[in-house]
Amino acid sequence: MRETFSLIRREFTAYFLSPIAYVVLLFFLAITGYLFFLTVNGLTQSGPRGIEFPFEILLGSPYFWVVFVCVAPALTMRLFAEERATGTLEVLMTSPIRDWQVVLAKFIACFFFYLLLWLPTLAYLPVLLDLHVTWDLSAWSASAIVCVAGLAAIVVGLFGLIFGMNGMLGFFLMLAGAVAAGLGGWAQHTRDGAHLIQVNAGIYAWPVVTSYIGVILAGAMFLSLGLFVSSLVRSQLVAFLIALLVSLLFVVAGFWQPDLDTGGLPYRILYFVSVPLHFSHDFTRGVLDSRHIVLYVSATFLFLFLTVRSLESRRWK
Amino acid sequence: MIHVERLTKYFGDYPAVRDVSFDVARGRIVGFLGPNGAGKSTTMRILAGYITATSGRATIDGKDVFWEPIEARRRIGYLPENCPLYPEMRVEEYLRFRAGLKGLSRAEQRKRIDYVVSRCWLGDVRRQLVGTLSKGYRQRVGLADALLANPPVLILDEPTAGLDPAQIRETRKLIKELGDTHTMLLSTHILHEVEMTCDSVILIHQGRVATQGSLDDVRKENEGKSLEDVFVSVTGAVD
Repeated sequence: MRETFSLIRREFTAYFLSPIAYVVLLFFLAITGYLFFLTVNGLTQSGPRGIEFPFEILLGSPYFWVVFVCVAPALTMRLFAEERATGTLEVLMTSPIRDWQVVLAKFIACFFFYLLLWLPTLAYLPVLLDLHVTWDLSAWSASAIVCVAGLAAIVVGLFGLIFGMNGMLGFFLMLAGAVAAGLGGWAQHTRDGAHLIQVNAGIYAWPVVTSYIGVILAGAMFLSLGLFVSSLVRSQLVAFLIALLVSLLFVVAGFWQPDLDTGGLPYRILYFVSVPLHFSHDFTRGVLDSRHIVLYVSATFLFLFLTVRSLESRRWK
Repeated sequence: MIHVERLTKYFGDYPAVRDVSFDVARGRIVGFLGPNGAGKSTTMRILAGYITATSGRATIDGKDVFWEPIEARRRIGYLPENCPLYPEMRVEEYLRFRAGLKGLSRAEQRKRIDYVVSRCWLGDVRRQLVGTLSKGYRQRVGLADALLANPPVLILDEPTAGLDPAQIRETRKLIKELGDTHTMLLSTHILHEVEMTCDSVILIHQGRVATQGSLDDVRKENEGKSLEDVFVSVTGAVD
């Protein structure tokens, strides 16, 4: 446990010590910002030129997918390839840590960074969802206090972890905080008459939730793919290019749109692996199609499993 | 402490290590000698658990490196050839990461890091980036890392390669001191160094053990020739 935490911490902080992370963040923010601008334009237009769902443009635009398909390989390319090239893999693999722990730690680290990439997009939500917040500071009840205390515990735990608190203590503080905040919030929401804080969305919010679920799961798939490719090669550039090429298989089908009978088998196969189509047809419209989720999750596990095997095979060569 | 039995490693068709057997008793410092490409690093990598042997077995303190890899690795401090490190980390940061990776608790980490930092004379570069350190300091960081979990066995692959004479002397002194508390297997080309620090030697040539025994035994066996002469006659180099 401690071994894995230690490795996650190193891998995650290593992103901020290299320029790649900032370049990726910059491009990602630029493209989401631009598409947000287009979305706002679309929201204010009526008729056929307007948009129906908040993330329709953001996750439907080819620009977004061009950037997105580069993001995962850029984040994963160094994870194993760099260690292999500099020889630090030898130091890592002779530590008392199992192969699957190494793979899991590296995956979690890049996945956290990926989530961090999406964090700034939460700032668009008040506009996209037309959120209205009303405060009622007289509504302090027991459940409200529990909820706020839980949130405070999460923040304390988070900062504690960053500034070198005992890992277990910080983890449990955050876990307890999350439970308290959840239960307190739920009690406040269902039982109390007056609410401390009330958020009303002017636009139906469910499609946004499903969009985020889709983005997180699809991201996990592309990241594990990149991780696997990185474990195979020695050069970061080669890792990036191969991962990009394989990722394109999952993306290009959505824009190629060949003249196919949409009821036929070829189209169904194409649709099954075409991530942008999943988003434009389902996730951005508030539909959680289990086929896509099964694909993302099982592909993630498959690639992680293959990464463990590829690390293991190196011992035999 | 280190027990190696009929160890063989093939890289494809090429046998890098052939039928190597030796024992290292507790508390001994053993020099692992041989020309380049003799199979020294390969043997050490097998012991450290980086690669697996094609056949044969090796145990560290009774733990088989293949069947109980985690337990065996816990008992080894390993310094690979060329001492690869993460250049973007600070020395202390790196040691803390390695200590966590070896499963040390927070309190132990602090204690052991302070200990290895003073032991390997790293006090004045604690906050420095590893990438900006000189070769000698990097080697010391690697050595400090190997010592972190206080393992009973140290396996050092060319700990003095690329150091200047003063640094070699320092490292040699450190190794000599560590020999009191650790069992050590160290590979090197510098025969003079072996004569100064090691209790016994294992000479390996073309993947096979050519000669092994305590320094005196090896000299006696070869009619009082110096270690250098023994090395040259075994490896068949021309004078």
